[in-house]
Amino acid sequence: MAERINPVSDNSKQRIAHGVCVAGPMTVHTQDGVIRRVRPIVLTDDDTPGWVIKARGKEYTPQRKFTMSLLGYCEKDRTYAYDRLKYPMIREDFVETPDGKNRNTENRGKSGYRRASWDEALSLVTREIKRLHKTYGRETITACTSSHHSWGLVGYKISLFNRFFSMMGYTRIADNPDSWEGFHWGTPHTFGYYWRLGGPEPYDMLEMAMQNADTIICWSSDPDTSRGGYSAQESALWRWWMKEMGIQFIYVDPFNNYTSVKHADKWIGPRMGTDAAILESIAYVWLTEDTYDHEYIRQHGHRFREFADHILGRGPDGTPKTPKWAEELSKVPAMDIKAIARRWAQTPTTVGSGMRGGFGGACRHSNGTEYARLLVLLSAMQGMGKPGRAFWGPGCGAPMNYNFWFGGYSDPLASIAKAPVADDVPMNPVEQVLYRPNLPDAILDGHYEWYGEGFCGGGIDLEFTRHVYPAPGYNKVHCFWRYGGSFFGTMLDTNKWAAMYKSPELEFVINQDIFFTPETRYADVILPACSNLERTDIGEVGSSGLGGYCSHSESGNSWQMIVYQDKCIEPLWDSRSDFWIFSQVAARLGWGERFTEGRDEEAWAKRFWQFSDLPKVMSWEDFKKKGYYVIPVSFKEEDKDPETGLYRNWDRRPGFNWFAENRACDTMNHKVFQEEHLLGTFSGKFEFVSESLTYWAPDDEARRPIPQYQDSWEGHKSLTADKFPYGLISPHPRFDYHTHYNQHAKWLWEVPKNRVLINGNPYLVCHINKHVADQKGIKDGDVVRLFNDRGSVLCVARVTYRLWPETIHAYTSSGIYNPIRYGERDSWDKGGSINLLTPGRLIGDYVPAMAPYSCNIDVEKAEPDPNFGQGWEHILDEVDKQQLETQRPIRTSADADLVFGEQETLILNLLAQRQAQEVL
Amino acid sequence: MLKTKMKRPGIAINTKRCMACYACFMACKDEHCGWDTPLSKAQPELGQYWMNIVEWERGDNERRIKTASVPTPCAHCADPACVKAAKNGGAYKRPDGIVIIDPEKAVGQKEIADACPIHAVYWNAELNLPQKCTLCAELLDDPDYPGFEPRCVEACPNQALVFGDLDDPESNVSKLIAANKVTPLEGLPEKPGNVVHLNIPGAFLAGTVAYPQELEEVCIGAKVTVTCEETGESRSMETNWAGDYEFEDLPKGMTWTVDIAYDGFKPVRYTGERTDRDHYVGITYLEKA
Repeated sequence: MAERINPVSDNSKQRIAHGVCVAGPMTVHTQDGVIRRVRPIVLTDDDTPGWVIKARGKEYTPQRKFTMSLLGYCEKDRTYAYDRLKYPMIREDFVETPDGKNRNTENRGKSGYRRASWDEALSLVTREIKRLHKTYGRETITACTSSHHSWGLVGYKISLFNRFFSMMGYTRIADNPDSWEGFHWGTPHTFGYYWRLGGPEPYDMLEMAMQNADTIICWSSDPDTSRGGYSAQESALWRWWMKEMGIQFIYVDPFNNYTSVKHADKWIGPRMGTDAAILESIAYVWLTEDTYDHEYIRQHGHRFREFADHILGRGPDGTPKTPKWAEELSKVPAMDIKAIARRWAQTPTTVGSGMRGGFGGACRHSNGTEYARLLVLLSAMQGMGKPGRAFWGPGCGAPMNYNFWFGGYSDPLASIAKAPVADDVPMNPVEQVLYRPNLPDAILDGHYEWYGEGFCGGGIDLEFTRHVYPAPGYNKVHCFWRYGGSFFGTMLDTNKWAAMYKSPELEFVINQDIFFTPETRYADVILPACSNLERTDIGEVGSSGLGGYCSHSESGNSWQMIVYQDKCIEPLWDSRSDFWIFSQVAARLGWGERFTEGRDEEAWAKRFWQFSDLPKVMSWEDFKKKGYYVIPVSFKEEDKDPETGLYRNWDRRPGFNWFAENRACDTMNHKVFQEEHLLGTFSGKFEFVSESLTYWAPDDEARRPIPQYQDSWEGHKSLTADKFPYGLISPHPRFDYHTHYNQHAKWLWEVPKNRVLINGNPYLVCHINKHVADQKGIKDGDVVRLFNDRGSVLCVARVTYRLWPETIHAYTSSGIYNPIRYGERDSWDKGGSINLLTPGRLIGDYVPAMAPYSCNIDVEKAEPDPNFGQGWEHILDEVDKQQLETQRPIRTSADADLVFGEQETLILNLLAQRQAQEVL
Repeated sequence: MLKTKMKRPGIAINTKRCMACYACFMACKDEHCGWDTPLSKAQPELGQYWMNIVEWERGDNERRIKTASVPTPCAHCADPACVKAAKNGGAYKRPDGIVIIDPEKAVGQKEIADACPIHAVYWNAELNLPQKCTLCAELLDDPDYPGFEPRCVEACPNQALVFGDLDDPESNVSKLIAANKVTPLEGLPEKPGNVVHLNIPGAFLAGTVAYPQELEEVCIGAKVTVTCEETGESRSMETNWAGDYEFEDLPKGMTWTVDIAYDGFKPVRYTGERTDRDHYVGITYLEKA
């Protein structure tokens, strides 16, 4: 191996640029065209003063910096990652047959690649598109992107990707609301808010809680980990403020999660999927002890008496939902349930699920809709919207300026595919649609039917639209264009995806990505895109946009920050920006001018500035020069505190307070009927018996008119429980984002609760209860196999008391899928791709939602031969191959790290030993 | 205050506020991996942790579990063992208290790494060089560097790491130290250097008091007293709304008597409860007097 020569850091030679990633905004220092370091954005005196919240005799104001999460600090490691796609590549045994048959598709996932020029790769792609269009029509190409493998209004999926494919015409793949399934399909039937996908209003709730709440319940919520979605660690300090002022924190989660172990005054860990039963029994305590808000329910409740009868055992099932009944299901002692029920009733209490209140793993369970609906109903029973009594997650709701317009990432008005940013607005001519969770079923079986639009923010009725694939009059899909990220880590029963890719039904597969992800390996043609830091874009941190489903999600930040995402370095190797790639294909298809409208990326970025409120406060040149703008919480001088200069007043609109206090609705993103004091349900009230479900889906087995606990189709009472006795909890990860970091940024493998390196393989960590571990002879640091009928995943055990013996914890969405035999169903995975184990089954016939929390597994100690089969090395092989072929002109700080040589192996081994020595 | 004007720049680590988010850990790698500076050779991509996070699980029962996390960079000791072990100025303490391993002079001196009582000095076999945290002195010294704090401090979202002049009683860092309990790492002397650890927890004794089992009710307001059998130290509290009690931060390695009293019920006493580690005493079901 070549001797390592490191460049010498010299601050006087450095250029400073700015960027945004899912971990927050960043300041990027470069030296000689190479990234030197990635820092947070630290505010200067030129930037706006912050807000100040007065609560319980003290004043609280945020730090003058934007607190990036650990993933952001890995951005340099990720940019120069060993698994970057460096050149266009074509599968070695791909044959461009004129009829699309006999293309060795069964070898996808196994075959190697050869390097191609851009011209060769793009010519092939264009020829294939023309052939496919001629043979089958435009609908035969489908395409899909993951969420946020890069950030920015130009490059994001609803923008650039949408523009290209709408212009070309394609079979769209509808996303399922995978992070908030139970709320999306559940709570609109209970309190409306379908336009927020069943989530609560976050507005000004931080101040409301700091001043009024005495108890905060985080149900299925780990806010330090979920970070308000895209708000980095901004809210972490708020929770310390609240903790230190004496607010009691209650955490309900089968895993005593990372926020819980630091903050919880009380943690209870129910058996998987029994949350609804606990909520029903809390209602039982309130009903029998008469400690709910009668007046509120009388005014705002619909058919409450029938719900009460059901809870008290006077309903058709005749079972009183006592704490003892809940204890038998959940294993949470009845005395603890009663104590929590009383605390909730007696003190001003907020309750929320998951990162922004309407999320959380518990809603990704076969009983998830019922859990979500009950959570909302119980919040209503205690006067939702009254001071300190709220449905709210403590990872959002900071003071913000509602009157400054800048587009967010899911904003219908903030896309280069839409007006006003685009002059030429393309309309996809294809009406056929596929559904992401069942894409493999549709391709493999050639037929699939389901209800619902994926995201049904336009109205409850959209949940009940019926779809058939192939749609009448349309041809089936024969080409898949995959764009960014890997679904092997995030979709369920992922072995199905491998099977799909091997099918000859897919005549042509394109993968356009930055990294050689597990899914990239199944493509016929690989188009290497550059990273966010190698192209120009613009974006606001954490903002999903006013029209977006989590509107005002940037209230998860202490600061509202719009960033000019500067091109920090030139695209590495032969990678190109996604915009360049799509423009080239468009040009070869004959509509290049129409696609670009003569603009480059910077010109498109400027259009977002132009159609926002930003020009009122900053010229384009100043904005580019400074790199960011922080929106003041108010523009009025008189709102400032004369002594400190901090904003003590702003346009306050506390979420749902208008409803509780019978005022006209004053919160943002509301519907006309709310001004008449009605909710978005049929009755306009909290529906304890849902009229919409009674009307549309009286035979729905997953959702009953009265929400209630039901045994899961895969849970502790199902047939597989004897064979696979443990429930798997697989929450959204703390040390990754979707699948976007863990495979690429090797520094993350050194976080001991994330991964453990053994023989050079970074095994995912799983948590196992001490008693189970003792029974099975498993010690902390052992390699174990988690398995069921669907697959096997090797992990490293962390032995703990942080969960009860019924449950095993391992994070979902592993970026690494590393089966010992690639693409084979019975092959063990060394990468930690936990979704090999989770069921592909949807929650119900009318609820096309995934339910990874309904998953039974078993565990055993495993001692895999580190040398057998195809291991981690398959990726490195490909990288090596590219190395040999390259005469690389650019110098990067990571030159020495592109190949894992002897030194690295040695270090990996040393590291493995070091970590193996750690004992609990 | 200007970073260059500090007499004794240092970091206070308020471990109570650390949530083990690893932002400091990654910021340190970002700063020091892949690049040489006048004060250090590059940190290897894997295997060294100049800002290490030492974590342990607290508790022995599912009903009461916490975690401790202690960011552990070089302590920049008042009287550094590595400097004593070094030859030819391979390691030295600057007038401002920052301890630096000279990347040229320290070549071959494995003793420097071996001398560190908290294992914060790492041995780089490839370069034949001991390496460690520089407190980002190379950045603080440099007028061209636009930041004001060491990278780990700048990265901390919780103000668990606070940077400033330890010799200025009015600095934020001095005020924080004055208001909290200084808890030196095991193996280090009482007198801290330029890195000061605060509030590293002792052990807790916790438990739950409930009415007779068949009632399925926690008991709120029961009086619980713990008394150290060796020193006689005693503390009391009442059970909270959840029927729980928790005596936090007791001295480790002691034996305790736990007394539980509630009007109308027989008093309960447990003896020999140890604080070798954080301990959950159990659920106490009261009996009618």
